[in-house]
Amino acid sequence: MFEFIVGHYNYWMYIGLMMIGFYAMMAKRNLIKKIIGMNIFQSAIILFYISTSVKRGATVPILEHAHGGHGAHHAVDVMQYANPLPHVLMLTAIVVMVATLGVAVAVCIMIYRRYNTLEEDEIIMSIRRG
Amino acid sequence: MKILSLITVVLVGAALIYGTLDMPKWGDPHSPASTHVSPYYLHHSMDDTATPNVVTSVLADYRGYDTLGETAVIFTAGMACILLLRRGHKSRGKRHV
Repeated sequence: MFEFIVGHYNYWMYIGLMMIGFYAMMAKRNLIKKIIGMNIFQSAIILFYISTSVKRGATVPILEHAHGGHGAHHAVDVMQYANPLPHVLMLTAIVVMVATLGVAVAVCIMIYRRYNTLEEDEIIMSIRRG
Repeated sequence: MKILSLITVVLVGAALIYGTLDMPKWGDPHSPASTHVSPYYLHHSMDDTATPNVVTSVLADYRGYDTLGETAVIFTAGMACILLLRRGHKSRGKRHV
């Protein structure tokens, strides 16, 4: 039981982070706070993926002595290097995160220019007033 | 509204925690994520791409189309930002005129 908790509590931490972000996205009325919630959510996903690439006792996936020797290829010990694939996927996800953040902030700037506020309920009231 | 979203968040979190019960342990070298395709990358990176940094060789070589799509995403986001902000600038100028 104790070993199970030690092996899995990292996932529960990411789920807690994700819940914080999700709640901020749904319940907060300020648009900037919603964007911050979206970023917390995405960070939780990234941490989750990175944690799947961990191998105990492994190092970063850069091959040691790769250019040493006279073209001789020695066998690569897979257990020695962390899984490179989640790192690559999360590199892409970070780029997408920055892109969504930029577009969201641009839309917020437009909304502020039009309505002079970023509070959701005030925006809805001023739309209803015409 | 706040209560409704709190209930939704707790339900989603409970479902996800139920999902983690089958997940491999932290740092398990035999987890499914690191036994299918990633050993191929580690073994063949040096022969195929002559790059000791496996992350780089996967990013730019094995999955180059992924990176191409990523640059398309960044380009689209940049264009969207420019168009949004420029149009706002122009309409504001018109309103003043």
